[in-house]
Amino acid sequence: MELAGNEKKIQALFRELKLEDESVVPGFVRLWNRAQATSRKPRRAFKTSFALATGLLVITLCSLAYWSRNWQRSQPQNSTVAVRSTTPGSTPARPPATPEPKQLVPNKAPDRIRANRPRRLTNPKLETRNSEPETTHRQAQLTFRNATLREAVAISSWQSPTATLMQSPADDVLTKLPQLDRSVTEFKSFLPNTPK
Amino acid sequence: MDLSELQAELERLHVPSFGWALSCCRRDRAQAEEVLQTVYLKILEGKARYRGESNLRTWLFAVIRKTAISEQRKSFLRALKSKAGPNLTTERNSFTGEPAAEFERSEERQRFQRALECLPARQREALHLVFYEDLSLREAADVMGVSIGSARQHYERGKKRLRESLAREVSDYGVSWKRKENPGAVS
Repeated sequence: MELAGNEKKIQALFRELKLEDESVVPGFVRLWNRAQATSRKPRRAFKTSFALATGLLVITLCSLAYWSRNWQRSQPQNSTVAVRSTTPGSTPARPPATPEPKQLVPNKAPDRIRANRPRRLTNPKLETRNSEPETTHRQAQLTFRNATLREAVAISSWQSPTATLMQSPADDVLTKLPQLDRSVTEFKSFLPNTPK
Repeated sequence: MDLSELQAELERLHVPSFGWALSCCRRDRAQAEEVLQTVYLKILEGKARYRGESNLRTWLFAVIRKTAISEQRKSFLRALKSKAGPNLTTERNSFTGEPAAEFERSEERQRFQRALECLPARQREALHLVFYEDLSLREAADVMGVSIGSARQHYERGKKRLRESLAREVSDYGVSWKRKENPGAVS
């Protein structure tokens, strides 16, 4: 590459710089040996950051699994509690027009349970052997159905707490229309201050 | 290529490699040394492998350049983490102070170094590879990982800018440095 003018000057300056650099060049053997020593060092297999991240992940997964299991267990209990708490709280001023959910449940639920109940075993020994787990199973079923029924009843019979405020003694007059084809006497009997 | 052969070649290219590493590390001697050692480590571990597709020198310079860039990135992140940016710069100044003491002998050399530092990285690289390492523009383009046209552009612009900044520096000292450029100088 031919250089002229200022380029020669630039090249001369670069050459000077090169000479300067050559005086401070570290030995090749020293750098090579250091690199070899570094490459021979066994790599640390255990990385702290990786271990921390893995630990955190495991803890998160375990807590999630534990929480989900607890949540599934507490689900039916919570619904029963919710029914109990909402039924009296939501209808405080309501007259007892509808029957209490507790009264309905024992009448209907056992019939259904009886209908679905499997046939009893005839062998008394087997019966005694299986009686305890069977009863507990039945009780669990019963409680669950009771809870479901209570919930259903509570939902169907629910009224707004302010519903009674909307009621008045003249509800019939307001809700019914006068019928035009009725006789005058009926009208007279209907109107209180007219002479019959 | 055998490792012993490669080692011999690397030893032969050690001095220009260090010069190139210095240029890539903005004249930071300690960092250049670290970069060169990392390059040798990469070669030893097989992370950087010469396949004979290009000139060994070009390949080695390209590896040095990439390593220097990644090392600079790492040191920048380290500085951010430790919030020790100002300390690092002072440290770096102390490193550059060592050759600067040598440069005090010549005002011109100091001005030249200052002018070089003012150049954009690509232009500085192109000038260094051509003038310092005596590479052709094609080889410089290979090292920089750009096309030859782009390398030529960096080279021309860098040359112009370096001349201007040197002339500015010289005019401060009362000496006129401006001359007409010979456009057909670069082949």
